[in-house]
Amino acid sequence: MQGIEDLLQKYFSIKVIIEVLPFLLKGALLTIIFSASSEFFGIIIGLVASVIRVSKTKVISWFIIAYVDIFRGTPLLMQIIFTYYALPYVGINLPAPLAGIVALSLNSGAYVSEIFRAGIESIEKGQLEAARSLGMSYIQTMRYVIIPQTIRRVLPPLTNELVALIKDSSLLSVIAIAELLRTSKEMMTWKLNPSSLTAAAIIYLIITLPLTRLVGYLEKKLKKGES
Amino acid sequence: MIKTVDLHKKFGHLHVLKGINLEVNKGEVMVIIGPSGSGKSTLLRCINLLEDATSGRIYLEDQEITSPGINKNKVRQRIGMVFQGFNLFPHMTALGNVTIALIKVLKMRKEQAKHIGVKLLTKVGLKDKIDSYPSQLSGGQKQRVAIARALAMNPDAMLFDEVTSALDPELVKEVLDVMKDLARSGMTMLVVTHEMGFAKEVASHVIFMDEGLIVEEGLASEIFEHPKHPRTKTFLDAVLY
Repeated sequence: MQGIEDLLQKYFSIKVIIEVLPFLLKGALLTIIFSASSEFFGIIIGLVASVIRVSKTKVISWFIIAYVDIFRGTPLLMQIIFTYYALPYVGINLPAPLAGIVALSLNSGAYVSEIFRAGIESIEKGQLEAARSLGMSYIQTMRYVIIPQTIRRVLPPLTNELVALIKDSSLLSVIAIAELLRTSKEMMTWKLNPSSLTAAAIIYLIITLPLTRLVGYLEKKLKKGES
Repeated sequence: MIKTVDLHKKFGHLHVLKGINLEVNKGEVMVIIGPSGSGKSTLLRCINLLEDATSGRIYLEDQEITSPGINKNKVRQRIGMVFQGFNLFPHMTALGNVTIALIKVLKMRKEQAKHIGVKLLTKVGLKDKIDSYPSQLSGGQKQRVAIARALAMNPDAMLFDEVTSALDPELVKEVLDVMKDLARSGMTMLVVTHEMGFAKEVASHVIFMDEGLIVEEGLASEIFEHPKHPRTKTFLDAVLY
């Protein structure tokens, strides 16, 4: 039974957890701020990118494809490091929080653009034709007919993307942003006890679980609405 | 009103329209019949510029709408189209469907658009459904909303692409009745349909198309009762009996 006592003492020390909790909550707040703002900008980037992509405007589409390929095909950690440490050499000096949001938003935008593209392409072609036959321009058709229908369909995958982003934002710890994971690691060193990691894990779950449940609910509702 | 001159359309190697010459005068109802794959729908879609003709010209009034610099959106505002699959916007009410183009394309004030929308939905017999969403409507009701939606732009001509083909038999009549009223009110119409009764009753002209060509053209009574071409005969025998 010695093993279990050690485990409890090391990873589940209530005393330590209570002591570090205020710091962790601050970290959690940063995690939420960073992921929410990156999701926000990611959606704007992704929406614009996907609309350009499906419009089949050749040259810009290639840029979009290259962007999506690069940001989905390389590690996010690398993108964060490049944004913060490499960009200053070309004269772009971003403070760490801004560099973090830029890197996360661009990364998220690449994924979101694919989500939107799939969503737009899932709308029946007849919708576009009906709108165009009324004299609507391509932009008007997208704005009033296609995108509103797309948003309903992509809400579940977008929420999933937000969950992924919340976890991925922990990578910002490499550029010294005191989000939840970094804070909990610092607390671990301070208290010489890793219970703060456990506490951080629970906080991550408290943030993400409602979101993953929301996805399930949205999917069910969507299915009902379309039948 | 609408005239096509030597109209061709190719999809890759597939030659769908092989030189169509037709003319619909103002107030006329032209019915296009023919076996599936004969190019009827493609013809309508070319006229509405949903497809670019490969060669040939299309005129609306005296304006060539196939010329390169043409504003397609402006042309489409003048030609209404109703589709086999309704294509109503599912996130808008019946009234929303009918008024969206008025508000966003013509920049009409909402109250004015609503006034027109209610008038048109009343005309197609759906006054009590203005706030219903497409999912709450039957197929026949959906198609009548679609007709009202196309009429809202006050078009010079209307194109109907097999608009009753996706309907349950008992719902066909309510849609055809709306179309008959429209024909009697003097609307210029191009109608692709298999409803021979409708064609006999309201068509000024009937065109029989096969394999991308107009095989036979004439008054409804001539074509239906005394088809000259053997292919027309074969088709009518198959459809009517």
